[in-house]
Amino acid sequence: MSPVAECLVAFLFGSAVGLLVQRSRFCNTAALRDAIMFKTYRNTKALLVAMMILSIGFTGFMTIGAGHPMNFDVGLNTFAGLFLFGIGMVLAGACTVSTWVKTGEGNLGAAWALLFTFVGMFLFSLVWSWNYWPPAPASMTGEPNLEALQLGFANARTLQDKLGIPAVVFGFIQSAVLFAIYRAILRRERAQQAQHEVHQKEAVEAQAA
Amino acid sequence: MEFFRKTLDPVIALAAIAVMDIFLFLIVGAWTVGGGETMMTGLIAQLFLGDDLKRLPFWELVFPPHADYWKIYISLGMLFGAFVGAVLSKEFYWRIPRRASEWLLITIGGLLMGIGIRLAFVCNVSTFFGMGAEMNLGGYLAISGIIAGAWVGSLIYKKILEG
Repeated sequence: MSPVAECLVAFLFGSAVGLLVQRSRFCNTAALRDAIMFKTYRNTKALLVAMMILSIGFTGFMTIGAGHPMNFDVGLNTFAGLFLFGIGMVLAGACTVSTWVKTGEGNLGAAWALLFTFVGMFLFSLVWSWNYWPPAPASMTGEPNLEALQLGFANARTLQDKLGIPAVVFGFIQSAVLFAIYRAILRRERAQQAQHEVHQKEAVEAQAA
Repeated sequence: MEFFRKTLDPVIALAAIAVMDIFLFLIVGAWTVGGGETMMTGLIAQLFLGDDLKRLPFWELVFPPHADYWKIYISLGMLFGAFVGAVLSKEFYWRIPRRASEWLLITIGGLLMGIGIRLAFVCNVSTFFGMGAEMNLGGYLAISGIIAGAWVGSLIYKKILEG
């Protein structure tokens, strides 16, 4: 596919995502923050459902060698980077998706967060140009490299190649785990609802008395 | 149209996005935002610095700036889609944070997000909607990292809220 066609497909995909996220108020930050801070799970449930579908879809196609899975080494930097990101998204009140979507709704705070995401990236490029860590994709080996704090590369397909079990089997196992978390959230919501109703009933009775 | 009057259930929205993401995975690669943002950073820096940018090896070895990088257009598409959705549902209006403390938190948050994405080579979208679903080892590292970060961020946020 030509680069222009790829860009066009990406734009169409992005437009549909922007529209759906705007209309549903989905927010990845809220999916984690609200579950941690307020024990509410509106966005968490949506995130889990998407991951269940994707786990089976991606691993299904990876079983037959189709698709474009990400292919680069991971390591301590993967954990540390997302740890910093997690703090940042809660402080900014938006993640990568919602900064674009909220900017599209006219939110200047989100546009400001986006601007400083760019600034952060540029600052990191200065540090990287000095210490060259984490290793650039061109110098990645796919194998553990403990000196550079890298664990190498592994996904459902490498498991298939090593163990002879189709990648999609692992996808189904992951989806089953995610579904168990989803069910646990539903149970918790029902318990919260029941407790709320008891409190309401008690308040009405207290008022009547 | 009903679609622009009522809020859509996020479970339905994300299920639809997941199905589209599978098609994107087959054509070019899974949904991602951080890579496109990095390329935009490089293009903007090139605009200001010109050939001086080449003195930074990062922009030679990791992200040589070029405008025909498909990931950029996912982000621009999201901006466009959200704008259309907001206008058609009469939800577009200028929102400006009121307090200086909000601007400060947004600035620090934005910086941490940018540094974090580049340090990890992935963003939150790739974490959940790419790597995690591909069962990449990095997905589990990234998910553990973002949950730990969101927890620490929530503690800091609570402290600030409580004054």
